[in-house]
Amino acid sequence: MLALKDVGKTYPNGVHALERFSAEIAPGEIIAIIGGSGCGKSTLLRAIAGLDRASTGSVTLDNAVITSPHAKIGIIFQEPRLLPWLSVADNIGFGLADLPADARGERVASALARVGLTDKASAWPRELSGGQAQRVAIARALVPQPEVLLLDEPFSALDAFTRRDLQDHLLDLWADTRPTLILVTHDVDEAVVLADRVLVMRPRPGRLFEEITINLARPRDRKSGLFDSFKRRVLTALDRSLDRSVRDVTDKSSAGEAMWW
Amino acid sequence: MTVDLPALEQTAAPRAAPARWSRFARPALGLLVPVVCALGWELVVYLGYSNGRLVPPPSKVFQTIVELAKSGELSRHILATLWRVGAGFALGVIAGTIMGAISGYWDFAKRLLDPTVQALRAIPSLAWVPLFVLWLGIFETSKVALIAVGVFFPIYLGVMGAILSVDRKIVEVGRVFRLSGPAMIRRILLPAVLPAYVVALRVGLGLGWMFVVAAELIGASEGLGYLLLDGQQLGKPAQILAAIVIFAILGKLTDWLIEVAAAPLLRWQDAFGARGGQ
Repeated sequence: MLALKDVGKTYPNGVHALERFSAEIAPGEIIAIIGGSGCGKSTLLRAIAGLDRASTGSVTLDNAVITSPHAKIGIIFQEPRLLPWLSVADNIGFGLADLPADARGERVASALARVGLTDKASAWPRELSGGQAQRVAIARALVPQPEVLLLDEPFSALDAFTRRDLQDHLLDLWADTRPTLILVTHDVDEAVVLADRVLVMRPRPGRLFEEITINLARPRDRKSGLFDSFKRRVLTALDRSLDRSVRDVTDKSSAGEAMWW
Repeated sequence: MTVDLPALEQTAAPRAAPARWSRFARPALGLLVPVVCALGWELVVYLGYSNGRLVPPPSKVFQTIVELAKSGELSRHILATLWRVGAGFALGVIAGTIMGAISGYWDFAKRLLDPTVQALRAIPSLAWVPLFVLWLGIFETSKVALIAVGVFFPIYLGVMGAILSVDRKIVEVGRVFRLSGPAMIRRILLPAVLPAYVVALRVGLGLGWMFVVAAELIGASEGLGYLLLDGQQLGKPAQILAAIVIFAILGKLTDWLIEVAAAPLLRWQDAFGARGGQ
């Protein structure tokens, strides 16, 4: 159980990025956090990861207070952030330095196979496409078998087709060990296709605005009417979070524009 | 299939040929200008258009080198110079690496030390010569110290700059995997800094060769710089040119050694260029 209690963050320069954010997230749950820029999504994620400390409140995972990076919490960034001097296989095994070489090799090989990059094992990161690199980053984060995996707009730099592929692929991988996924995104489509719960945030200061439960069975059909109605609910919540009129929402959905910036 | 095979061969053959051609032809092309100039001058002197006294023909320079080598003098001079460059380079690299690493890693040290180092850097290094001679005497110590000073600054700047420019995002990956301080240095910082460090070493070595000449011109009884000075004072331009040619060869050779030694560690970097040619 991941518990966020009154998590707030004020940066040293006085920017009040996040205010009293509370949530309880069950093991294996998939949470999407969505909201406009400046609503503290990334701040929240970095606090959960232990990369930045919250100014107020606490993050606890199974009763352990998180103040620095934790072995059971993995994170995937917007960029793959692979180490350019390590081969693809060594990048994936980066977090397994404590294991003996043969055990590490086995884990890496199965992870490589799982993301479909066995033939790239000895390639350098710069020889990969954007989608391949992000798959390596996913494998690197998953191979230490974290209980919580944080994703900070992981697919936003990819083209639409690759993004959809990787969303489906992420669900596949999630099904292996069912870690808790917390995904920060700008993409309503992505939130609705992946998440059990969508947390809509509002800016200045960042805080929780609305929580929408997506009780759709997986795999989800992106073209179904029910899927669309959930998307509309999220879009409506987003627009209300920014005090926009509902008219804008219908315009957007009729234009088939799923990205929300 | 029978149609496909010849087609494949056809496309493969012309592609392989230019690759093989360029591997040998490219360095050969670079030799063209100096070789033509040398042969041209040789011919001019041979045909009597010039007596070649001030600008001796290549054959004369080569002959001088052979004579020096036969008498055993050449190896004595070369060893003396190599020793000075080696010792000065080693000292400069050690000091520059340590100081650069401290200043790059630790902000307080940078604010404390860097202004002083930058101020010292602004002094033309040859200005130290009289002081070094007074302090350290006219023999080896002052020469090695001068070379070390010349080598120190590019290494210091290179190491500090490289550490300061390590991508914060990559360091964050190390934090996510909870690397300890030493592990962070070994697994993230060192490999990230290495390419810039190799460049700094090569620049530093180049300056080392520059300063060994200055040091040996000041006063030496052996060394390639002494050959230069001796050639000037006794009016032997062939000996000066011989020393210059040997400087060029040694400089290139030692630079190449660094390049070759670093190549396996930097394979990840030029992998793109190597494969891009395919």
